[in-house]
Order: sequence, then C-alpha cells, then structure tokens
Amino acid sequence: MLSFRTTGYNGYGVKYSPFYDNKLAVATAANYGLVGNGRLYILSINNDGSISSDTHYDTQDGLFDIAWSETHENQCVAASGDGSIKLFDVQVGQFPVMNWHEHQREVFSVNWNMVDKTNFVSASWDGSIKIWLPNRQQSLLTLSPEVDYTTMASPVAATAKGPAVPLSNKTTTNTTQTCIYQAVFSPHSPSVVVSAHANSHVMIWDLRAPHPLQLDYVAHGGLETLTIDWNKYRSAVIASSGVDKSVKVWDTRMIESVQPSASAPMPSFHNASPAPLNQFMGHEFAVRRISWSPHDGASLLSCSYDMSCRVWQDHMDDKARFLGARRMGPLQCTGVFGNHREFVIGCDWSMWGEPGWCVSTGWDEMVYVWDTPNKQA
Amino acid sequence: MERLTQLASHLTTAKGVSAIKQKNADDVVIVAAYRTALTKGGKGLFKDTASEDLLIGLVKGLLAKTPNFDPKLIEDVAIGNVLNGGAGAFEHRAAMLAAGIPYSAAFLAINRQCSSGLIAVNDIANKILTGQIDVGLAGGVESMSKNYGPKNAPQFSDLLLRDKEAVKCGIPMGITNENVAEKYTIDRATQDAFAAASYNKAERAVSQGLFKDEIIPLQVTIEVDNDSEDDEADDTIKKTVTVDTDEGPRAGVTAASLGKIKAAFKKDGTTHAGNASQISDGAGAVLLMRRSVAIKHGLPIVGKYVATSAVGVPPEIMGVGPAYAIPHVLAQAGISTSDVAVYEINEAFAAQALFCIEHLGLDKSKVNPRGGAIALGHPLGATGARQIATILRELKTGEIGVTSMCIGTGMGAAAVFVKE
Repeated sequence: MLSFRTTGYNGYGVKYSPFYDNKLAVATAANYGLVGNGRLYILSINNDGSISSDTHYDTQDGLFDIAWSETHENQCVAASGDGSIKLFDVQVGQFPVMNWHEHQREVFSVNWNMVDKTNFVSASWDGSIKIWLPNRQQSLLTLSPEVDYTTMASPVAATAKGPAVPLSNKTTTNTTQTCIYQAVFSPHSPSVVVSAHANSHVMIWDLRAPHPLQLDYVAHGGLETLTIDWNKYRSAVIASSGVDKSVKVWDTRMIESVQPSASAPMPSFHNASPAPLNQFMGHEFAVRRISWSPHDGASLLSCSYDMSCRVWQDHMDDKARFLGARRMGPLQCTGVFGNHREFVIGCDWSMWGEPGWCVSTGWDEMVYVWDTPNKQA
Repeated sequence: MERLTQLASHLTTAKGVSAIKQKNADDVVIVAAYRTALTKGGKGLFKDTASEDLLIGLVKGLLAKTPNFDPKLIEDVAIGNVLNGGAGAFEHRAAMLAAGIPYSAAFLAINRQCSSGLIAVNDIANKILTGQIDVGLAGGVESMSKNYGPKNAPQFSDLLLRDKEAVKCGIPMGITNENVAEKYTIDRATQDAFAAASYNKAERAVSQGLFKDEIIPLQVTIEVDNDSEDDEADDTIKKTVTVDTDEGPRAGVTAASLGKIKAAFKKDGTTHAGNASQISDGAGAVLLMRRSVAIKHGLPIVGKYVATSAVGVPPEIMGVGPAYAIPHVLAQAGISTSDVAVYEINEAFAAQALFCIEHLGLDKSKVNPRGGAIALGHPLGATGARQIATILRELKTGEIGVTSMCIGTGMGAAAVFVKE
C-alpha cells in the first residue's frame, strides 16, 4: 500500500491516467468541500514506492471529480463546486487552459468518452447533464430529465405519457430531488450515457436519438442514487449504488424501455423498482463511488461513507439466475480496505498497472494506492 | 450551506422540512376535506338536525365534490364525536350507509373529547401507513343543540371523588381556563383583545368568502314559531332552509364591547361568553388514502398528512395542551416552529390559546388567520376535522400547517400537514 497526503484538502475524486501506469489526478476541496478552495493534484508513483506531487492547481471552489483526456496524455478536466468545468494541461502551469461555466450549481461528475475519445460528459446538481468537446467554448448538448418529480416512485418520463395525475403541485421547491450525481459514458458505445439521480432514478440516454432518454427506473427504492458505472465486459450490465447502502447490478435489457415501440405501442413507465441481477450488501453507510474493474468483468470496487472500500465479485450467472447463486455462490465481498479514517469519496482501478491495484481518496486527506486481495476469486 | 445539507442527506434518513415535503408513493394524502357551516347551539339553523343527519349531508356532499372517487374504495370510516351516546357508534354507522358508502366499509366511533375529529384522521392515517387499509374516511360531528347539557356532566364514583388527582378531571372547562389565566397571569383585557381579534379575522374571512370552498351547504328542516293569527294552527311550523354560512362570526366586535360581558365561571373571573368558544353544531370530513392509490385513480391531492401527537397535561389546566402537543409533533416531524406557515389552534378559551401562543413564541399573524373557535364555534367532536378543512385552504402549495387543540381532562393534540 502506498499513500500520499493532500494536506489541507479533502479528497473527492481520483483517477489513474489512461496513458501512464504511474500517474494519478486527485480532485480535492478544502473544508470537506463545504466551502472554500479546491486543488487538483497530479501525482506520480515512483519506483521506490513513494508518491510525489508533480504539480497542483488551486481553484476558487472545491473540485469534486476529475477525468483524464483520452486523446491528450497531459490533459484532464475537473468538476468544480461553482458550476464550472476546467481543463488543465499538466505542462501549462498554474491556470486551466479552458474554463466552461454553464452549469448553475455544483458539477459533481465528469467522465471522458472512452469510445469516441473526443468528448466528455458532466453531471450537475442543477439537474442537467452536458456533453462537451475540449476545444469548443460551449457545450454540445444538454440533457435534462423532464420528469414529473412530483412523485419519486412513479416517474412519468418526458417521452412517455403516464397515468393522468392531477397533482396540484407541479413546481416542487425541493431542489435536492433534481440533483444528478454522476453521468458516465458507456465503454461500449460512443453515444450512450447512464446517469445517477438524487430522486433514486437511473437513466440511460442515447445522444443520437431525437428523444435521448431511453431508460428510466427507480433503482434504490426512493433513496438517492449516488453513483453508477458500466461493466466493461458485459455491455448491457451496469451497477448503481447510493444512500440505501446496497450496490445493485442491473441488466438493462431486462428493464422495460420508456420508448413506445411497435410491440408495445402504449408508452410504459415504471411504478416499482425493477429487480436487479445481483445485489451486494455490506457497506454500513451510503456508497459514494463504484467502479467496475477494467481487467475482470466480475470485479467491482466501491467506497463509502463508512470509511471503507470494498471489492465485490459478481458471479451471478445470468443464464441460470433461478439457481439462486446469490445465496449459494462464492463469497461476494472479497476485500475490505479499511485504512481511511474518514469518508471515502473517490476510487479508481489501475488500468496499466498489475491488475487488481486501485486508488482511493477521501475526507481524511489521504490518497491510498493498494492491491485488492483475492483478485482471482 | 446547501452543500452540507445535500451531503448530510446521504448519511441521515431524510428528516425535516425537505423530508416531509417529499412526495413518496406510500405517503398518506388528503384528497378531500370539507365541513358543514357551524351554527349556534340551541338556536341556530341546525338546532333541529341530528348529528347523523349532518353527517349524511356532509359525506354526500364530499362524495359529490370528488366525482372520480368510487366510495367502494373506502375500507374504514372513523368519526369522532363527544356527546352522543357511545360517541354515535350506531347512528353514525347508519349515516354512512345513508350517505352512499357501501356496507363493506367498516366503521369506528372515536371519542377523545375535543380532539376526536383529529384523532379520527390520525386513526385512518395510521391504518394507511401500516398497510392495513388503502383508503379511509375520517371526520367528526357534533350536535351540541341536541346533546349538550347536564346529562353530559361527568358522573364520578365516590372513589374518584375522594382521589385528589382524579377528581381534577371533573373540573368544569371554564374553571380550568380561570386556572390558566391565574397561573400565568393573563388579564382580562388581553383575553378580550385576543377574542375581538378572532371575531374580526373571522368576519373578514366570511366577508371575503374564504370559507365558501370548504363548506358543504346542507338543506335541513327547522321548526320555527308560527306567527299565524289562527289559534287552531300549531305553535311551530317546519321550514326548509339551506345552511351554508357560519353563524358564529359577528361584525364590529371590539375588546371594549367584550369588556362589558359578565364573567361566567367565577365572580371575579376573566372567562365569559365573549372570550370563550361558542357552543355549536357542525361536522367535518376528510378523505385519506395512500398517494399511490390517489395517483392510480387520478384523484386530486390537496395535502399530505405528516404526523399527529397527543400528550397529557395536568387536568386542572387542560388548556395548555397545545403548548406541549405542538413541540412534540414538530419534533416527530423534525421541523421547528418557524417552518410552519399556519397554525390552527383551537380557541377553547382566549386565555389558554394566548398561553399556548406565548409559550411557543409563535408569530400571532400565523395563528388562526381566519378566526378561531371563539368566533366560529367549537362543535366538540367536529373541530379537529373542521380545522383541517380550513387550514388546507389557508396554506399555499408547499407550505406546512399545524392544527392543534386542548382536550378536556388534560391533554393536547397536534398534527402536521403539508399543502400540495
């Protein structure tokens, strides 16, 4: 286990470089991200096992997430609490090379498109998702779930006509319900994004479609969905987690589309949460970030307010779900990393290093690089 | 500190204002809340109308105002009542059948004195929350004209009369209020000013037609003196009238005009007919269901039921009830007094209402903005349901309201609602 202390700054997001096996970018914020400055660290893991800071950038507001460019080895974008997104070039000192300010509230996630590689997606507490090109001043596209937020459990998607609900109140003042915590590009398609919403929803968007919203369901029983990720090996599989402490694995093919189709001309909507493929229980508080392994379609990393990171193995055989592998199969949680002394907010798998290595950061100002035990479970 | 609130919501089960304003499928919501006009006991237009007849008219009216609602969905009915024998268990069950509610809906008569109407709502809401039922009707009714009188005076056994504490439950309500006024030194002038304000607010609300929406007009027959010169004629004749206006409020009441009234309970007392609640007839009804059911059937949602509390207080100063019940229910809901936009606190007497407002430090403009029981009347079992009908029309969308009342024998009840 290697470590680095981001003194005075509490970690929010961490990512391995997609170009170098020893480079990390860490998004941090002073005062636990509640108020004050932010700092982006670019770290190098040295051959002697130490971690050193190559450079860092100070920002006016806390940084909540980070994404490396897939086309330029020195560039990364950071999501800021003031609603801005900043593109930094490691070789250009002190200031970002681009600054976009379109979101109205905290930007809480940025994610680079791994297939197309030219664009990235941001998700904000203002309730919108935006697609950006690094060399373009304005966003390319804004996705807003025009969902009837008057009910949390019975969504009526913009493209689907739900039951006639003469709810007297269409304008809810409860802004916390519109927050979007994370949006992630599919690693299998250049134009598909999945997003995690405060109103417990998970939504899948296809940027090519005239009505981009493809799928919309309640994932965590009304509690906030905080994080989401695509499985890198199974294109229809995603995992989500949030305030209900459980990590749920979903097969998106098993969830009814919100789009009317020839076979189902009546637009459909979900009254109840669909059944997940698998579910990992073990975290004691809300889960802040999950990530599927780039090396193994079954491994998933999660980090939580319970100060731990956990590694899970999804051995559900989706061809034989009736066998009840959930109960009888091998151990699901194959590793617990308990070195953090505060909330763990960000985590990522090493892409180019030895499979199984990962990095985590949190409110204890620590970045830990560690090897997941039992990775061949 | 919006950011802190947002992150805190990850760690705590949602509580507080944002939580109670959330709209979840398993919420208990109010689809309709109506009441009859409140008339003067013994001389008003309902003086010859039995409590069951008030209920029939009210429930019929409520169902007519909710045209998409199928009464077959009602699984349980709870009606609060204080003065009828057995709280009206027989006649009010029968009234439900007469009003068009099928026999399949169970019936329950509830009596927790002046809070009965609210406790009926509480009972139905709890049954919905636990999943026992999906849809229920709650309400309260009182014909003080027909049932108020010496026969309702408590009959205590010798054992009770000898018990120092128990006997306090028999103290007349007016005396308990004199006790409150004395203990907390609330002078008569302050009480009269409060009562006059109640009259003025009610008068304004009536003149602006603010009660029109919540009142279901009832057609009743009333016996009036026969003015005919013919000696053969009966002394009284029957007349049909439509009752759609509260009789309690009167114009031009001032603290000075109330100051002339003689104290009613004690020679040197402060409580009198003008600063105490009126004896009235009336009824209120509230249709409750789970939100998912309301949505499924396309019914309008006017409010969300959040919580109810009932607490005990010393019987000899029973009027302080709301001062203890309100903090209790607010703590349950995780909100503070300032989060509430409107309070409907039953004005059993001016002194007790004043004490509760002062004790809680409430903004007076938020309390009973349309007048209270001093001006409108207090048909005991109906009051709890009447307050809900009123407050849901006073609140603006998204605002939180609290209804509360003191309860004879020493209790207070309070409930939290959100207008939608």
